[in-house]
Amino acid sequence: MADVLLEVRELTKHYPVKMGLLQRTVGWIRAVDGISFTIERGKTLGLVGESGAGKTTAAKAILLLERLTSGNILFEGKDLYQFSRSQLKTEYRPSVQSVQQNPWSSMNPRMRVRDIIAEPLIVNTKQSKKEIQTRVLELLEQVGLSTEHAPYYPHEFSGGQRQRIAVARALALNPSLVVLDEPVSALDVSIRAQIMNLLKDLQGQYNLSYLVIAHNLATVRFMSHTVAIMYLGQIVEYGDSEVVLQRPLHPYTKALISASTLTLPEDREQGVEPIILSGEMPSPLNPPPGCRFHTRCPEAREVCSREIPELRKFGNRWVRCSQLV
Amino acid sequence: MSDVILKVENLQTSFFTRAGEFKAVGGVSFEIHEGETFGLVGESACGKTVTGLSLLRLLPEPAGQIVGGKIILDGINILELHKEEMRNIRGKKISMILQDPMTSLNPVYTIGDQIAEPIRQHQGIQDRNELVDEVISALRFLQIPAPEQRIHDYPFQMSGGMRQRVVGSIAMSCRPRLLIADEPTTALDATIQAQYLALFKSIQEQTDIGILFITHDFGVVADMCHRVAVMYAGKILETASTSTIFKAPLHPYTVALINSVPRLDQKVDRLYSIEGQPPSLLNLPPGCRFAPRCPDVMDICHEQQPKEVQVDDGHSVSCWKVS
Repeated sequence: MADVLLEVRELTKHYPVKMGLLQRTVGWIRAVDGISFTIERGKTLGLVGESGAGKTTAAKAILLLERLTSGNILFEGKDLYQFSRSQLKTEYRPSVQSVQQNPWSSMNPRMRVRDIIAEPLIVNTKQSKKEIQTRVLELLEQVGLSTEHAPYYPHEFSGGQRQRIAVARALALNPSLVVLDEPVSALDVSIRAQIMNLLKDLQGQYNLSYLVIAHNLATVRFMSHTVAIMYLGQIVEYGDSEVVLQRPLHPYTKALISASTLTLPEDREQGVEPIILSGEMPSPLNPPPGCRFHTRCPEAREVCSREIPELRKFGNRWVRCSQLV
Repeated sequence: MSDVILKVENLQTSFFTRAGEFKAVGGVSFEIHEGETFGLVGESACGKTVTGLSLLRLLPEPAGQIVGGKIILDGINILELHKEEMRNIRGKKISMILQDPMTSLNPVYTIGDQIAEPIRQHQGIQDRNELVDEVISALRFLQIPAPEQRIHDYPFQMSGGMRQRVVGSIAMSCRPRLLIADEPTTALDATIQAQYLALFKSIQEQTDIGILFITHDFGVVADMCHRVAVMYAGKILETASTSTIFKAPLHPYTVALINSVPRLDQKVDRLYSIEGQPPSLLNLPPGCRFAPRCPDVMDICHEQQPKEVQVDDGHSVSCWKVS
């Protein structure tokens, strides 16, 4: 049996929409609607979807930055809602850290690099100044920076270097899970490769688990062991990343893959036709009845607008589509 | 070959600041034909956007100046034109689509007003009903559903993909000869990007327009462009047809850039990565600009700039290794 670090069961987050003088709730935005997945120790789960699919809300829920509407999160087999406040503070939060998308806004511009990296240590541990300083320098070297960088401010670094600082800060407490929310999408092409290689190396070295949120499928394939494809708050396909990305079953996964595959002019001459979806993702305030994807699905039938498809197992992956048998 | 719309010869653009002269574009040459999409690929700060802005003479003056070269549009060097004459070219003969439709549209005017502006300016149509008809047909040209209702909408009422189509309608409203598209799909989602690119391909087939496509995304290049130029620190290092760039690139930077992008159809354990960072435009190396990061560097690379060499029909490279 695989070593499961984090399990998410039927996670749901609905945001109320309030209007008028009395701020009455007039509707709910169903940002995340019953998603389940597991993350194994030392492995990476890629969460893919377009903007508004609910990826970031799911990540925020795991980081306990949002209260769940319903559902459970199990960390090392224990339900987080059974944890006391102090247990959360000492056991959960230090073990789950994050790296944000934009290294220009994720760091306080008035703090020096050494203080930025030291902050989680000061808050969460009782280490002495000396110990903290040694640890900060060690972290800087681990992420490929030099110890001489410690006294500088974030603005003195390039985007790639800043993202390295963010990684160092995330690693300061020896976490077991790091949530990476679009870790390379704000960086330049040649710098992305450096950061992705670094993240992979660190994973191997410290047996880290990653939850990678990305919209770029190629990035996800490179980083992830398993993937979950999200559409409008739900998972539409979930499984081993090679299986899902090589032989997709859900029409949405197929369209996403088509949109991110490199097709050269001669491929097109040989008849490789890209799948172009019509329309846009509907509003999560008022999701369509039946299958949420049916309004854009090239394979939709009449039944798709009535019946809500379940996530069903096909071999070693799960797909939410009623047309598959 | 079809007619050449635009010929850029040794274009040099600099920004003059207190710190000194930033040579953003250090002498680039290329041409664009009718019905052709020409890609300009490179990382941030390589000068691709400044090249685009130079073609429209829209640099933030007085800091930004075109210091040399020629931009020949349909046989006329537009750098010699008077400011007033240039105004007749912008939006009429050359138009531009910017990256972020949220900031390129005015939030306090309806989209109808914004599309009408270039039509009124360049086609001299003043009659209100006639203008409305033109605006609706411009929206329909970009396949915006229900244009009769949409003309009264403000930008915030539309999705990102629709907004970028409105920007496209403005750009195409006067049937320009050349369209400069500066990362038009970077702010869009994957499936919406695919829609937008397919739309522009069909527009190009209908109009024979030349497109200068500025991007950092090789996937978009493969999809859209007929020919590509790879830019680095203000210079074009390699120009070739799209297939050649992907299948037989010669410049070490092109090779490295293509290898450093993860691909969906290949499983690799490590990505190739280019060490270091691009040089400062304030203080460029005397030799090849890529020399400090180049894996195949030779002594001469640090001393002298390589000349552009024609290696094959339509394939040219600036690299000492090749010459």
